[in-house]
Amino acid sequence: MRMQAAKLQPGDILVKTLIWGFLILVCIYCLIPFAWMLSTSLKTEAEAFRMPPTWIPLKLTADSYIGIWVRKNFGIYFFNSTIISLATAVLSTFFGALAGYGFSRFFFRGRRFLIGFFLATQMLPGVLLVGPYFKILSKVGLYDTRTGLIIAFLTICLPFSTWMMKGFIDKVPDELDQSAMVDGCSRLGIFFKIVLPIVAPGMVATILFAFLLAWGDLLWALCLTSSESMITVTLGIARTVGEFRIIWPMLMAGSLVGGMPAILLYIFLQRLLVQGLTAGAVKE
Amino acid sequence: MKKIFTISVFMAVIIIVFSFNSAMAEQVTLRFSDWHLTEDVWNKSLNEGMDIFHKQYPNIKVVLEPVSYGEKETKYTVESAAGRAPDVFHVHAFSLPMFFGKGFAKDLTPFIEKEGSGFLDAWYPLPIKLMKHNGKMHAMPGDYMTMVLFYNTNMFKACGLDPDKPPKTTDEFLAYAKKLTRDTNGDGKVDQWGFGTVGAKSPGFSMRFGPFLWSFGADYLTPDMKRSALDTPEAKEAFAFFVELYTKHKVVPPGLTAMNPQEVRTQLAQKKVAMIMGSGWTPPIVNKINPDLNAFEVLQCAPAPVKRKQATAIWLSSWVMSPSTKHPNEAWQLMKFITSKDIELKWFVDNRVTSSRKDVSGVAPEILNDKFASVMASQLPYGKVEPQIKQWPEIMDTFTTSLQEAIVGMKSPEKALSEAHERINAILAR
Amino acid sequence: MWIKDRHMWMVFVLPGVILLVLVLGWPAITSILYSFETEQAGDAAYTLANYKSLLKDPFFSTTFWNTTVFVFFSVALHMILGLAVAMVLNSALPAKPMFRVIALLPWVVPDVVAGIIWKWMYDPIYGALNDLLIKIGLLNNPIEWLSNPKLAMTSAILVNLWRGFPFVMLILLAGLQSIPRHLYEAAAIDGAPKLQQFIHITLPGLKKMIVVALALDIVWEVRRFGLIQAMTQGGPGVLTEVLSTYTYKQYFKFFRFEYASAISVVMTIVLLLVSLPYIWMISQEE
Repeated sequence: MRMQAAKLQPGDILVKTLIWGFLILVCIYCLIPFAWMLSTSLKTEAEAFRMPPTWIPLKLTADSYIGIWVRKNFGIYFFNSTIISLATAVLSTFFGALAGYGFSRFFFRGRRFLIGFFLATQMLPGVLLVGPYFKILSKVGLYDTRTGLIIAFLTICLPFSTWMMKGFIDKVPDELDQSAMVDGCSRLGIFFKIVLPIVAPGMVATILFAFLLAWGDLLWALCLTSSESMITVTLGIARTVGEFRIIWPMLMAGSLVGGMPAILLYIFLQRLLVQGLTAGAVKE
Repeated sequence: MKKIFTISVFMAVIIIVFSFNSAMAEQVTLRFSDWHLTEDVWNKSLNEGMDIFHKQYPNIKVVLEPVSYGEKETKYTVESAAGRAPDVFHVHAFSLPMFFGKGFAKDLTPFIEKEGSGFLDAWYPLPIKLMKHNGKMHAMPGDYMTMVLFYNTNMFKACGLDPDKPPKTTDEFLAYAKKLTRDTNGDGKVDQWGFGTVGAKSPGFSMRFGPFLWSFGADYLTPDMKRSALDTPEAKEAFAFFVELYTKHKVVPPGLTAMNPQEVRTQLAQKKVAMIMGSGWTPPIVNKINPDLNAFEVLQCAPAPVKRKQATAIWLSSWVMSPSTKHPNEAWQLMKFITSKDIELKWFVDNRVTSSRKDVSGVAPEILNDKFASVMASQLPYGKVEPQIKQWPEIMDTFTTSLQEAIVGMKSPEKALSEAHERINAILAR
Repeated sequence: MWIKDRHMWMVFVLPGVILLVLVLGWPAITSILYSFETEQAGDAAYTLANYKSLLKDPFFSTTFWNTTVFVFFSVALHMILGLAVAMVLNSALPAKPMFRVIALLPWVVPDVVAGIIWKWMYDPIYGALNDLLIKIGLLNNPIEWLSNPKLAMTSAILVNLWRGFPFVMLILLAGLQSIPRHLYEAAAIDGAPKLQQFIHITLPGLKKMIVVALALDIVWEVRRFGLIQAMTQGGPGVLTEVLSTYTYKQYFKFFRFEYASAISVVMTIVLLLVSLPYIWMISQEE
């Protein structure tokens, strides 16, 4: 156990209180909008517009939750978003980890330039790139496909994933690699069997980042798809903001349900990667 | 570890390979896009319209592509630039100069000529004029409405104002607004305001400000549209009048610069304001927001208040054909259909929007007998439109920036307006 | 393997490079070239006209300043809050998984949705935030969070803090988890106070991750668009106009493609210069 003192002293109690107080404040800060979202999602449309607002709905209804699935094709949006975001997350983390390892262990010429290049590709705003990218996709027939979107998101995520994974892999001592190579292990073998398990917590962060980037994107999903069967969750939610009215309960319900996969993914990754693999890995 | 990764990557690759869209079967298929497809009532109406179209033209299939209101220009721009815009799509008339300038709208003259002479006579002249680029029709006019003053008759009565005598002049309007701004529940805080309006950077802003500006006898630009006309005394008067509604008389609710049309309608629906500028869409939306208000009964509308002359803003939407369409003739059939007399009447009956067709808005009993539509139609002759030049969005953005700065008190109205005047001149001088 | 070990970097690094160059190469080049064209001259002439206009544009300098303020405070607050929360979540705490999920929640809401929700919550008349603060007695009158010129940027930054700190927190948490425990144990046995442990064990151990988090967050915050656009559209006036919203306006509202490209190129160059120290630090040989 970390941070254990031999005896419980008054200073410790003060520190503990402060820490708990801080934690509670942070939780409130994080949760208040969600409380509001939940409350609104359970209201009727009319009550959502009430001035002054009600925190506890006067009339509880799950209508919006049913509505998004039944009236608004949420099932299709969900399917698309899940496939696209998962594929982006897995591929981005995989290729990012590969590149991160390469940058971490090898000191080749042009290394610094390439590291900077990766980051530099993200400095041009998507607003400019989406137009020409759209043209390319049309020419190769990938317009209005999930594949086209996956590739687009990959190129946005990959530099971030690379930087993140490099940072995590840097902390794994090179001696482990060397001793494994002496034992006859190949570089790729070291990568898969030794390094990746150790950086599992970092992989969780990287996978989640890529997943959320792909899931929450609006601009690319908007411009690179046109048919109803390709709509993503975020795009679908944006549609509830119409010209004339915002269907608040549905917007809230859609947002809450849309946030679920990321949370589930996080919990799943924590179990699978961190607990399953790093047990004992950090102790030297 | 390696196994998990290999399997995951393998799966991801399989997912990618199988998510290629399969090729569409060969048939004349038209892509039709409209933001109204994301609205429940409109969506139903449009689908019904399409069913009628499919029966009349069985060889054409129309695929509906909804797009969210806020994102439509983004989407159409990107698609048009890549030559992949929908065959027919719906835009605001004020977007047209930019689409025309970039060549994103097809010249419709050959199709119109084939319809015979006098085809365009069925429409009001102003919408037709706005569809032209270099003298040629590049779009077809759609919904055509005017902005009018909506007010809550119950709130009028509660303040001792006669609901059958709405304010006619801007002075009356201000007096009414002051009377309607009060504390209704006795807790010492004002919770009802006389007038709700848009102050955010939104297309709806200029439609609500224009009537004031023009009614004072001022205008945004000189008639040749080459210079700003905001340095006239009338313009300064109008600008100050509007700003002072908020800063001095406080008849407008707080937080004006964040108000979109949606928030304003909500304020009316929730009885927070007594009057707003609105149009045909206002009563149904207000009714949906707060059914208890009984919007269709309680609301009334009147022409915009007058200072020196009667003027109001128009709302016009239009249909564009993509120049890269592979089926121009069929696309024209679709455009002709959605702007035809019967279907235009259907749009009114379903959605309360008046048409740019004279033979509908000026004649149909459904419109003339409707308490709202009749007022709006009566104002059509006084409708003014903003300059249809491609710099207009930037000019309006600059103007709204200055207005917001005056509203929140960063600058005096005179200073803000003169800054706007100079910046607009700089934009036009490019 | 038939590849010499010192050439193995290619196996690891090149797939990513090839993907980036293939997909982003042409769009990036066309965008940059666009910035040298003008609408009047057409494709033929390449000029610096757009850049000259940029220098004279009064809105550009305001936007640039706003972006600097926005990014600086957002990133700084992200780092502080992210580190604090990461440390708490790394300590002996009951119900850790639950708190970790809570701390992650703001991150799962897309930018545009978060902007819309917060705008609504900030509303002076029917916003939940004012209502709540008045109900619990912290306020007497509603605050105009997004309309008051003194508060607008601060309100936007507070939302961005909410939205973005989980990213930093997650990176730093992973970094904290990789600091070997025995270092702390040894220090505790030696009687070193917590503050000392923090300065001499935690911070050095986290150094690389802090650099990564800083660099990535800076780039990310300069790109932050949907959040601000949905909340204020850059207003009131131009008080919350940042480079991303300004570029978007120029491109999609005013159709000034060439000018938008020029703004983006300038933005890119500035970002590159700012991130050079981080690129240097992250590529240091240990």
